Amino acid sequence: MEIALFYIAATIALVSTFLVLTNFNAAHGLIYLIISLLASAVIFYVVGAPFAAALEILVYAGAIMVLFVFVVMMLNMGQQGIDQEHEWLNLRMWIVPSILSLILLAEIIYVLAAGSVLLPGHGVEPKAVGMSLFGPYVLAVEIASMLLLAGLVGAYQLGRRYLEENREEDNQ
Amino acid sequence: MTFLDFQALSPLLALTATILVVLMIIAYNRNHKVVCTTTVIGLFITLATIPCVIGIDPVQVTQLLVIDRFALLLITLIALVTIAVSLLAYDYFDGNSGRPEEFYLLLMLSALGGMVLVSSTHFASFLLGLELLSISLYALISYPIKGLIPLEAAVKYLILSGVASATLLMGAALLYAGLGTLSFEQLGSGFYPEQATVQAYIVIGSALLLTGLAFKLSLVPFHMWTPDVYEGAPAPVTAFVATVSKGAIFALMVRFFVLTGAFEYQSILVGLSVFAIGSMLAGNLLALMQNNVKRMLAYSSIAHIGYLLVAFISGGITGGMALALEASIFFLVAYIVTTLGAFGIVTILSNSDESRDCDALENYTGLFWRRPALAGAFSIILFSLAGIPLTAGFIGKFYIIAAGVKGTLWLLIATLVVGSGIGIYYYLRVIYTMTLKSTSTEPIRIPVASGWVMLLVTATILTLGVYPTPFIDMLGDLAKSLT
Repeated sequence: MEIALFYIAATIALVSTFLVLTNFNAAHGLIYLIISLLASAVIFYVVGAPFAAALEILVYAGAIMVLFVFVVMMLNMGQQGIDQEHEWLNLRMWIVPSILSLILLAEIIYVLAAGSVLLPGHGVEPKAVGMSLFGPYVLAVEIASMLLLAGLVGAYQLGRRYLEENREEDNQ
Repeated sequence: MTFLDFQALSPLLALTATILVVLMIIAYNRNHKVVCTTTVIGLFITLATIPCVIGIDPVQVTQLLVIDRFALLLITLIALVTIAVSLLAYDYFDGNSGRPEEFYLLLMLSALGGMVLVSSTHFASFLLGLELLSISLYALISYPIKGLIPLEAAVKYLILSGVASATLLMGAALLYAGLGTLSFEQLGSGFYPEQATVQAYIVIGSALLLTGLAFKLSLVPFHMWTPDVYEGAPAPVTAFVATVSKGAIFALMVRFFVLTGAFEYQSILVGLSVFAIGSMLAGNLLALMQNNVKRMLAYSSIAHIGYLLVAFISGGITGGMALALEASIFFLVAYIVTTLGAFGIVTILSNSDESRDCDALENYTGLFWRRPALAGAFSIILFSLAGIPLTAGFIGKFYIIAAGVKGTLWLLIATLVVGSGIGIYYYLRVIYTMTLKSTSTEPIRIPVASGWVMLLVTATILTLGVYPTPFIDMLGDLAKSLT
């Protein structure tokens, strides 16, 4: 049974990722990307890593995807944007994502109801994650902090190109 | 972590501190000269901490990093190259529009990533170091805000390097699935299991790992990004990509193979040999058709990494490990110094305010009559790349052939000889172009800092070529301590 849960979630992850790539509409693609991330979170949950599952949803489906959706929506403003949003809210577009999410929801409810339907192995508690992050892997945390700094400075530098181009246009 | 651990990490800590200081200086007051000087001083402090570590090495700092002679040699090399690139970049960006200050910040972050890579003994530090190196490089490649070529190069590098990282991660995941550990040393103790399924995990995992590494090292058939990225990136960044990024990844590969003993798998050796032969042939043949110096050097660097692999593969033959390491480290050092010099010349002739770097072959026409010193240095560098005696490149190639002969890798040696023969043509073509009558009378200014860098680089190439004994003795000790 646990194996079946894994395969269902994995199939949903693959199908939704494929739909991300084949979708021409960025906003619709992002919806499928969110479902793909939710499916990987369910996989984490089923194999006994509830903390990783929660992080997957908080960090990816939550913070990062909301940013993505915001940016994509902000780039289309005005009347054209409003028309486009009508198109996005088209009910037909929601059928497939809803079905996929409902399957994932059913899986989660089943796992919660059954109590301990976990794959063989042991569950990883948040405390254990914290202990290893600030124990044997403390250097990894430090290097990751420098990685974030590099990402930040790099993003600033890339953004400056856009600012500078706009300034030149204003001057002309 | 004990005091000893901190002492062992002092070069990395010194560099990190410099990064933070430079960050604060930029936030407080933008001044190109101050930022560049601080960077160079910080890197010299990093170098100065290395003698404090030499007495206590090797130190295993947690399970992620090991600071030993090998790591220290490469950390020194990375710091020196970063100093050279900073000085070259100072003249490249000096007095131009745009804000050059963050360049040094990203450069040091990238160098820090390289230093983490060369001392990693664990997949966590390996991947974090690799990402730190690459993410800073994306921003560095697209640094000039004018012109679309750098942006195009950065996007190409971003996508292909992302794919390579994903492949590496998948390989690491499979190795973990098979053996249940991410530390290289523990992987090594279980690398030859009885069960066929676990063996399959290991072989497929290692193949994915090698594919990812080959992407980063731009080995044929994963080399397509190299010429475009080298051409599009600003010249000082190209120098950095070709030296630090490749050197650090090769060092990581050496450490992985030494610690895990992955050489015992015949299929891995065959895969490496295919990469080597493909790189030596395709790199040299494609370089023949280039009229752009940067692209030519890109293909020549593909061929050089192919040569490097010949020595590396000979380590798989019983008892050949010490010589193989000695040869590949010597060749790597010679390659790094020479490539730094070659792109240094391109940097001196270029300026960040122009939309293109000075990389077309016709720009070099008559350089001998306009700037004899610069053309002379470039000739020595090209001789070294071609492997002509009295230069570091010759000793390096000689070493590689010696290692190959000891390993009886006749096919690889034959390819190496053919490849080097083809190589001489396109290197000499550049020298020939420089001796032609010049059409332009525009004076070429050689900036002070860059001039000194080029002088030191050329002197190092000649010293390593004429009197390599002290360095070879040091490498011999180092290779013995590793195996």
